[in-house]
Amino acid sequence: MTESVIRNKPGMASVKDMPILQDGPPPGGFAPVRYARRIPNKGPSAMAIFLAAFGAFSYGMYQVGKGNKIRRALKEEKFAARRAILPVLQAEEDERFVKEWKKYLEYEAEVMKDVPGWKVGENVYNSGRWMPPATGELRPEVW
Amino acid sequence: MATKVVDAAGEPIPTSSVLMSSAKHIEIKCMSENVEFLKCKKKDPNPEKCLDKGRQATRCALGVLKDLYQRCKDPMEAYVGCMYYHTNEFDLCRKEQQAFEKACPLD
Repeated sequence: MTESVIRNKPGMASVKDMPILQDGPPPGGFAPVRYARRIPNKGPSAMAIFLAAFGAFSYGMYQVGKGNKIRRALKEEKFAARRAILPVLQAEEDERFVKEWKKYLEYEAEVMKDVPGWKVGENVYNSGRWMPPATGELRPEVW
Repeated sequence: MATKVVDAAGEPIPTSSVLMSSAKHIEIKCMSENVEFLKCKKKDPNPEKCLDKGRQATRCALGVLKDLYQRCKDPMEAYVGCMYYHTNEFDLCRKEQQAFEKACPLD
């Protein structure tokens, strides 16, 4: 009943003559819609991009090289200082070692005095070079 | 404490921070003794054979330390203290190093 009230056309003979109520486009149609791609072709070229990347890379490597030079100079300073004081430290260690070694040789003579044919003292290797004693312990009283 | 450069009798204490602080001076002043000791060691690594050259090198280095302490006490103590604090890192003690080298130049 409500349809005929809403869509009433005066002078209607039957319900079949009712005008059609549709949701449709406005008069004149809709505005045209662009759906084609339009990606612009401006901006840097391939060569420009490559040169920019190469430039950034080489600038970075240049900075790396500069930093490495500075770091190498610092390391050289540290090593030169170590080289300068090396003889003092080595000489101190030599004195300590010679004292300990003499005590050890006396102990060895004491222990092996009854063994026939034992040449006390340095019965280390045959090459003639001096080798540090290979006891497996550097300084037993410390470690 | 370990930042003292000389002990009660006035003799220099060769701790690591003291030695590293004065390393540049030792390098210049004791160059010949050090090179002699190293040549002796290269010829024969036996410690008993290079004892006298080692004693010369030690005497030279300790003499350098004493001389530096007498000439510029305060900058040296500041530098040694800074090196002790930063475990002998040269780059962290630049200010004290500049003051020390200005007071006792490297020749």
